[in-house]
Amino acid sequence: MKTTGCLLMLVCAVFIRVRAQDGGQRGGTAAAILGLEHTRYNAESRGDRRALDQIFDDALVLVEDGLLATKGECLARVQSAGARPRQIVAETATVRIFGGTAIVVGTYREIDIGDGKPIPKRYRFIDTWVNKKGSWMLVGAGAAPISK
Amino acid sequence: MRSLLSIALLVCAGMPASYAQQDSDSDAGSKIVAMEHVWAQAYTVKDPRALARILDDSFICVASDGRQLNKAQVMADVKTSAVLQVLTEPMVVHLHGDTAIVSGTFRTKGMEHGKPFARRERFVDTWLYKNGTWVSLTTMVTLAAD
Repeated sequence: MKTTGCLLMLVCAVFIRVRAQDGGQRGGTAAAILGLEHTRYNAESRGDRRALDQIFDDALVLVEDGLLATKGECLARVQSAGARPRQIVAETATVRIFGGTAIVVGTYREIDIGDGKPIPKRYRFIDTWVNKKGSWMLVGAGAAPISK
Repeated sequence: MRSLLSIALLVCAGMPASYAQQDSDSDAGSKIVAMEHVWAQAYTVKDPRALARILDDSFICVASDGRQLNKAQVMADVKTSAVLQVLTEPMVVHLHGDTAIVSGTFRTKGMEHGKPFARRERFVDTWLYKNGTWVSLTTMVTLAAD
């Protein structure tokens, strides 16, 4: 998962399903949220702490590999040295809008390519975004490995 | 189950809370934690009725095995759960206006396929203040690694 700093993340395809019923404004919001998800992936792949700092809420709660991480810990990991490269392929993402709150549920595949033989894993995730003063901020995130 | 838990309530600034007119942040956090306990208790007594009020109709659960469940599936799962005991541990509530993020861990014991099991799991829940009450929108559960 996202526990190491220098990441090689390739977002190959995302199938978007927007649960918003009116399709208009909410659809636009959902697209914006998905754009932020991509921003996050790209920023992590580049080790761009500044970009992540702008979309991670100060009180971000992140659960990865069964461990709880704060915003500071997440940002530190992105820049940590000696991390193993990995490849992430986004599969699906569904966005639900509740006023100033957005929920993204989806799946992705991860291939750890740093230790010889690639080891693929699939995860299902939930991300929670909140609109604060006009900007959507990631306030909660977690992923669980999908059993075969 | 523990009768009382230590609660760390972190209130995030920067966003006005519409519920604040009727409910302080600490009250909101206490109510949410209390509902988390009701949720855990539902598994112990295998009675999903309390969850009908706690879980939003659009509720989504990602279980520790990666399955995605909706509200009806979770309520059905409660009835047939192999869990015999749920011990919640201290949890933290982060308030963001009408949204709350709750994180914590819990321990479960039970019988599965005739064999006893014990697990410690970590969760992240999202709650929303909706129509005058807090409801859970999501939960993500994974095996704790610490």
